[in-house]
Amino acid sequence: MKDRPSFASEAITAEREASVKLGLLRRSPGLWLTLAIALVVGLYPALTGNVAVREVVFTMLLSVALASSLNILLGYTGYVSFGHVVFFGLGGYVGMFLLSRGMGLWLAAPAGGLASGVLAFLLGKAILRLRGAYFALATIGINEAMRAFINNFAPFGGPTGISLNFQIYTGYGGAGQALWLTYYVLLGLAIVSLVLSYLVKTSKFGLGLMAIREDEDAAEVMGVITPNAKTWAYILSAIIPGIVGALFFFKNGNIEPNDAFRLHFSIEMLVMVMLGGQGTVLGPMLGAAGYQGLRGFLVTSPLFKDVQLAVAGGLLLLIVLFIPAGAVGWLRQHFPRLRALLP
Amino acid sequence: MKRRFAVLISMLMAVGLLAACGTQAPASAPTSAGNAAPGTGAASSKTVTIGFSASLTGASNVESTRQKNGLQLWMDQVNARGGVALADGSKVTFTAKSYDDESNKDRVQELYARLINDDKADFLISPYGSGPTDAAAVIAEQYGKIMITTGAASDSTYSKGYTLVYQMYTPASRYLTGALDALAQAKPDAKKLAVVHENDKFSTDVSNALKSYAEGKGYQIVLFEGYDTSTTDFGPIINKIQQAQPDAILGGGHFQDGTTLSKQLYEKKLSTQFLALLVAPPEPKFAELGAAALGVVGPSQWEPAATYNADAAKSAGIEWYGPTVAEFVKAYKDAYGEEPSYHAAGGYAAGMILGKALEQAGTLDTPKVKATLDGLDLLNFFGHIKFNTSNAHGLQIGHDMVYIQWQRGDGDKPTKQIIWPAAATTAKLTIPLR
Repeated sequence: MKDRPSFASEAITAEREASVKLGLLRRSPGLWLTLAIALVVGLYPALTGNVAVREVVFTMLLSVALASSLNILLGYTGYVSFGHVVFFGLGGYVGMFLLSRGMGLWLAAPAGGLASGVLAFLLGKAILRLRGAYFALATIGINEAMRAFINNFAPFGGPTGISLNFQIYTGYGGAGQALWLTYYVLLGLAIVSLVLSYLVKTSKFGLGLMAIREDEDAAEVMGVITPNAKTWAYILSAIIPGIVGALFFFKNGNIEPNDAFRLHFSIEMLVMVMLGGQGTVLGPMLGAAGYQGLRGFLVTSPLFKDVQLAVAGGLLLLIVLFIPAGAVGWLRQHFPRLRALLP
Repeated sequence: MKRRFAVLISMLMAVGLLAACGTQAPASAPTSAGNAAPGTGAASSKTVTIGFSASLTGASNVESTRQKNGLQLWMDQVNARGGVALADGSKVTFTAKSYDDESNKDRVQELYARLINDDKADFLISPYGSGPTDAAAVIAEQYGKIMITTGAASDSTYSKGYTLVYQMYTPASRYLTGALDALAQAKPDAKKLAVVHENDKFSTDVSNALKSYAEGKGYQIVLFEGYDTSTTDFGPIINKIQQAQPDAILGGGHFQDGTTLSKQLYEKKLSTQFLALLVAPPEPKFAELGAAALGVVGPSQWEPAATYNADAAKSAGIEWYGPTVAEFVKAYKDAYGEEPSYHAAGGYAAGMILGKALEQAGTLDTPKVKATLDGLDLLNFFGHIKFNTSNAHGLQIGHDMVYIQWQRGDGDKPTKQIIWPAAATTAKLTIPLR
């Protein structure tokens, strides 16, 4: 560790040094804290059997998985992707296509993730050479291009999209059971995305990504093979959104281009990551759950439901103005001792 | 520098979110529900909760708000009358519970699950739009709740095996077929059609159904072309139409593209006998096109000038139910100060049909209400209502579109006339259109 260049984020060194000798469990209290929160929130609807709460938590977990994946690119690597929803949409489309052809969810959903990973690989080779605002613009273009392509792609139903017959759920024990099933799978995915995020962050590969974030040229000079590292970061950030997309649209029962490639949702994903704190493991989770929780509360609250978007927008503006590092980033800055607990 | 860039990006995103919020619809509905259980004795009165999500914000907020207004009007009226009488002599009044779905389906399932579980909604009305309705139907069916869909014309929802979802609107597959019938009657020798449509789910479904219907009737489709939703220059498409030399042009999509296409067709002086477009022509604002609006035909789920009445019901041998067209139009104008659109009428009719089913079943029991809805066959101010009960359960098979044409009125101002179906016409189809 000591002979490493000092561009490594200060936090990692602190964490590492504090806990080198101990086992994985004690070595990373922050990860366990993060997972424990996710599990408690995630299992709450299952324990109480409350379906309305389950639906609220479903939206949160969906966002946690997406934001946490996006964070690998945005937070660690420092590349702003405005079009990340393209992976969610493509995964959804591939998954729905296979489901409607009679394939089971257990194959269709990973296939969605795989398709997104492949797309990320191809795109990565092409557009990760761009930096800063140029990359951000290119990602918007990709989302729009994909939407236009699917809109004219007959096997995916063109503008009509793909619908599933209600009968498909009987194969999973009826609609009620199928919705619980998707919920548990999503909970699992959210946890996988958090673990992945942690592993990336604490690995040598992650260190390379953060080096790229701080100064790409310097990173290259120090021996990071930046094109490869960036492409891998892009792929890793794409796979889980692809699987989540397949799950989400399976639960919805239909998919259309405008639902799958909604640019607005991309922006919401960025907001979640930034709210919670980009470049941290816990941040995107808190940001996603907090954002969706807030929106969910406002939209159903008798007091705010008619002005909910205005209130949400105003709150967001205040947060980005005054806590630009995000909640976890702010805590880490002001309470250095907590850093081991706030990965 | 880096930090500034981040702050800049953050602020841009926040602004983007705010901008995406769209306009806030004035959610002003005269609510008298809830406190409208008159003193009929506590034991003999129940309150039924009707749950739905409405697009108070986002792209569909105008249509959805009107739909909600229509439903609310019905609820206010029926509550003011003391509610619907059940078989056991009790009276039920209605109260609505609704949330904003922001015109997209991200939260629709969450909201409907909440309506059913937390708010204890007894019956459901669909969101506005086919996509959100599809998502809501899964939840309704899963919990065994009856959902009346309005503002959702897609056919595909009903071929998915649902048993509790009932459609008020004429399905997309029949949106333009009536226009072709009108053309066939007025000009039997017009056989060459050009179909140009917006490339989205609804318009494509309509156009595909039109195509197979037309081909079945021996028409020749000389051009079948989709255009992107955001198209503003129809020059290339119009050139193609010109080359194909059709007798009639059908298609369109939504308001923006429909008005632009009509205008540019007029400016290019394209000679055609007949022009029928989706969605845009029935809107009162379409008249602002002036001379370019003249002759354009459009399908509408309902028009204030529609002439459905008790006599028509009698001659068709079916029951007449509810207010007359004039009574509904007046009540709506009194409540909201504007002429009702078909969205508003659909909202009102959805509530009314639900109320009728409860009254006829004499109970709130879902299987019995479902059986009543399955057997329903009646005429009302909104039109004929009858549901498919076999292969596409819940699909609307009774209701017909009315077709309007903008014709030259007083002082050359375009006025809307109903030209089809024959039973509801207020004027004859002008052909060729200009």
